[in-house]
Parts: sequence; C-alpha cells; structure tokens
Amino acid sequence: MELKRNYFLEKLLKNMLLFCVAMFLLSIIVFVFARLAPGDPLQAFYGDAIDTMTQVELAAASARLGLDGPLYVQYLDWLMNALSGNFGLSLQYKIPAMDVISPLIVNTLILGITAYLLVFFFAIILAVACALREDSLFDRIVCKIGTAVYFIPAFWLGLVLILIFSVNLNWFPSSGAYDFGMSGNILNRIQHLILPLTVMIVTHVWYYGYMIRNKLLDENRKDYVLLAKAKGLTKRAILWKHSMRNVAPTIINLMAISVPHVLSGTAIAEVVFNYPGIGNMAVTAAKIHDYNLMMLLVIIMGALVISCSIAAYMTNEIIDPRMKDTGGTLWEK
Amino acid sequence: MGEVDESMFELVGLDYKDWTPQEKKKTLRDELKKLPWISIAILSVIILGCVFADFICTHNPSIYYLDHLNEAPSSEFFFGTDSLGRDLYSIIWYGGRTSLMVGFIGMILVTVIGITYGCINGLVNNTGDIVLQRFVELFHSIPTILLALLLTAATGTQNVLSISVIIAIISWFALARIVRSEVRQIRNNDYILAAKITGSNFWHLVTVHLLPNIIPAIMFVVISSISTCITMESTLSFLGLGLPLDILSWGSILSLANRALLLNTWWVIVIPGLFLVVTLCCITSIANYFRKETNKKPNRL
Repeated sequence: MELKRNYFLEKLLKNMLLFCVAMFLLSIIVFVFARLAPGDPLQAFYGDAIDTMTQVELAAASARLGLDGPLYVQYLDWLMNALSGNFGLSLQYKIPAMDVISPLIVNTLILGITAYLLVFFFAIILAVACALREDSLFDRIVCKIGTAVYFIPAFWLGLVLILIFSVNLNWFPSSGAYDFGMSGNILNRIQHLILPLTVMIVTHVWYYGYMIRNKLLDENRKDYVLLAKAKGLTKRAILWKHSMRNVAPTIINLMAISVPHVLSGTAIAEVVFNYPGIGNMAVTAAKIHDYNLMMLLVIIMGALVISCSIAAYMTNEIIDPRMKDTGGTLWEK
Repeated sequence: MGEVDESMFELVGLDYKDWTPQEKKKTLRDELKKLPWISIAILSVIILGCVFADFICTHNPSIYYLDHLNEAPSSEFFFGTDSLGRDLYSIIWYGGRTSLMVGFIGMILVTVIGITYGCINGLVNNTGDIVLQRFVELFHSIPTILLALLLTAATGTQNVLSISVIIAIISWFALARIVRSEVRQIRNNDYILAAKITGSNFWHLVTVHLLPNIIPAIMFVVISSISTCITMESTLSFLGLGLPLDILSWGSILSLANRALLLNTWWVIVIPGLFLVVTLCCITSIANYFRKETNKKPNRL
C-alpha cells in the first residue's frame, strides 16, 4: 500500500515539473512575440503625450515600464515580477493587468465550464443514441445535420440567434452577463447565458459526438461484445457497462484536448454577445496593442489548458492501468 | 496397400490458387455515381459567380449609394443595401473572391507546412521526435483564436496574403500530427530503407516515397482546411482584426452586423452568412468523400 502511494506521488511530481517547463517555454514564446511586435508600447501607454517628452523623460518612462535593456534582461525582470504575481501595468487602463482581468475570470469560468459540461453531456448522449442504431435513418440524419451544423461559423450563428430571439422576439437579452445592479441574481444571469450557451453547444457538440460515436462503433466490433451478447445482455447494457468503460479513457483524453477548442469558442461567443469575460478582453487588448494584458491572458489560458491535460493523464492512469505501458497516448489521429 | 486412384485427388502445382468468387469490377460509372454531385454543382456555381463577378454584378461594389441606405431587397438591389449604402448582391460576389482565395492560399500553405513538419517529425530519431512533438503540443495548448489575436495584433493592418499566412500558421498542427503518425508507420519499410541507402535526399524521399502513401490519409484534412481557413478569416474580419472594411470579403461584410442588429436589417446578416455556410457545407461534403472507409467488420452489438 505504502509503495503504491509513493509511485503515485512520484508521477504527480514529475507532471508538476512538466507543467513548470511547459509554462516557462510558453512564457518565453509569448514574451518574445509581444516585444518584437510593431507598435510602440510607450505610445500605447502615454498616447500623444509622447511627442512632447524629452529624451530624459522618455528614458525614464521606458525604465519605469521595464522596456530598457537587452531582451533577455527584460524577460528576466518580467519573469521575476510575474513569479511574485505582478504582471505589469495594463497599457490601456493604467492599472495592474491582473486587476483588469480578475473580475472577468469568474464570468468566463461560469460560461466556459457550463458550456464544456453541456457539450460533453449532449455529445455522449447523441453518440450513444447513434451507436445503438448504426446506419439507421436516425443515425444518418444526425450525422448529416451534425456535420453541417459544425461548420456554421459560431459568430454568425450568434448573430442570427440575436436577430431572432432578442431583436424580434425579445425573449432573451442580447448582451452582457447580467443587467445593471443584478450581478447576484441567478435567474437574470441564466437568462443572459442561454443564447451564448446555445451557440457553444451547437457549434461544438457534433465534433466530439462524432468521435465518440466512431470509437464506440470500433469497440462494438470486438469479441467481448459478442460474448456479452451471447450471455443475453441487452444492447443498452452492453453499451453502457462494457463498451463505455473501455471508451472512457479516450473520452477523458478528448475532454483534455478539447479545452483550448472550447476556450476559443467561449472567446467568440463572448465577443458576439458582448459578455464581460477574458475572451472579450483579449480581443480588445489585441485591437489596442495592450501587450501586457495579452501576455497575462495567454499565460492564464495556457496554464488552464496544460493543467487540464495533465489532470486527464493522471485520471487515466488511475482508472485504466493499461495506460501505464503505452504512455497515455491511446488517442492518435 | 492397394492402388491409389489418382482421380480422387487433385494435383496441386506451384501456381495453385484458392478459388475466390470474381468481384464485380467497378466501372467508371459506379465511381462517378458516388461523387457528391449536389455539393459540386452548388460550389461550382458559387466559384464561377465569384470569378465572373464583373459580368453578373448589377452595381459597382465600391460605390456608396448614400440615398439608398439600409434598403430591403428589391428589384433594383437584389439583396438590399447595407448601412454604408453598398449593394449587397454585388459585394457578395466580389467578397467571395477574397474569401475563396484566402481559403485556397491557406490550404496550400497549411499543406506545405504540415507535410514538411510532419515528415521531418516522422523521420527523426526518438529524441527528436519527442522534442518536435512537444513543440506542436505547446502551440496546440494555446487556444487558436488567442494565437490569431497575437499574430494579427503583431502585424498591423492585413491584406489577403498576410491574413492567409497568419491563418496557415495557426492551423497546420492537426495535419502535421496525422502526417507524423502515418510516416512513422511506413518509415521502416524496405523501400524507404533502400531509398535512403541509395542516397536520396529528404525532398526526394518525401515526394517520391512518402507522399503517395499518405495522400489517402490526409486528403480529408487537406480539403476541409479550406473551410477552416474561410471560417477563420471571416471570424477575424468580424472581430475587426482581419481584413479592413474596404477589402471586400464575406467576413468584412459581416463586420457591419452589429449596426445591422440595431437597425434590425436582417438581410445584411443572413444573406452573406448563408453564402458562407453553403460554401463551407459543400466543401465539407466533398472532403467527406475522401474520408477513409471506416472499419467494415460486422457490428456485433
């Protein structure tokens, strides 16, 4: 027993190390990108006042914003600050970038996590429904419609939904996360969430549903399914109790890989519905060249994605001992 | 031991073969029947319309008809006009040119980058393989849209070529992964070894030996990357980070949608969007035709 726990802890530490290395590389890439990009950060910070500044003032200003010195010195400075939780000033809002983003993170998490869970809930339900009756009319219709719907651009679907349900029918609000002064009202929040969630679900569900369906169908062609059938189990029981267990690691892997995909979708939905979240903020930051803000946003999203994939890896090792030998890469292609 | 009656046995020579029922040979007609004809027809109408936009357009796309702002579809303006007073019918055909061009240029770039990277990744030794794969995974872990934001913010105003390059840079990872796994499956074959021994260089190996073998596996991804590129372009243009308003594309036409929502002018949103969606669906169903046949063993459920 003691031995087993040590093994687990060792794996966990190894993965933590992997996480740190990945974040370090990511931060270097993002930093170099932000610094090499055209557009003077000083200009962004001070606006037109920059034309009237003297050389001494300019030098002092760039020292204050950490823009003097060679690139690697700038990076080390930035890294030291970042490790102590200071990600620099937002060039646009003139307050620490963290303060700009922290009130928005909760909104994004509410939208993102709800959408994520609902997407996979519906994907699994649809996949099972299709796998139970392969090549039936239902299966073929769902496959056709699903593929067509998946290729509808998310932003356009959002626009059409706003046009129908908020401009003409006036059922749902078209923008924001809550009405003014009602941030604590859950019903009001849900009302604002329905349209963005619809867009997220419709544009993502079949991409995953189709993969899960195909995995289930592959599984159904194995010998143990025949044995289970010979034992007299019902289709439903075989699918849920036998096939599903063997597909579960794949689904968990898929859920980990899908995090950046869903995050992208959240960002687009946030912009279309003018939802105050970090995706919307990222688009604004890109438009006004606010690199400090963008760097922080990329780091946050990157951390989220990498930790999710490590969590999926660990979960798979626990629920499926076979993964230890294959290194957890059952999901190829 | 009596005499052996030779007529009871069948003599089996070297060229003995099991009897197999002769499969009906597939004629060209059967092959043609399977093509997604409806999609091909619709897509060719759209492509031809965009190519010959000069002949079928009834208005000059760059003229702002200021006394016809936000007009509903009529006999003069087939699809109505937008909030700048442009004739939607004309700008849709001209915009289609840009959108399709971005799609095709993007596809070519994605294919070149993806195949090159995938082949290098597939042919190197194990250590290099891990490093190159981690590199792809690292980029894959940044949400696509955020990567696009970084790149568009860093490069300023866009034109058709620069937006295609940006879109290609953010969307080759999936293709590279597939190429890698395919190459690793065939790289230990004798003919690859023979080619290496006879001193063929990387490009010869890729174009002569590897590509013909992996084409069936990547065809679906390559063709559907056209629709990915078109979608990405329109999304970026809608967000105000892609093509500017004066370069017509389906995305930049749709970037006026927020104003259309306020004025409740549905045609500005629905009609260009429908063109976009129909094109994407056609390309997808053509791509589906090239998808590898799945497991054809009988279902045991």
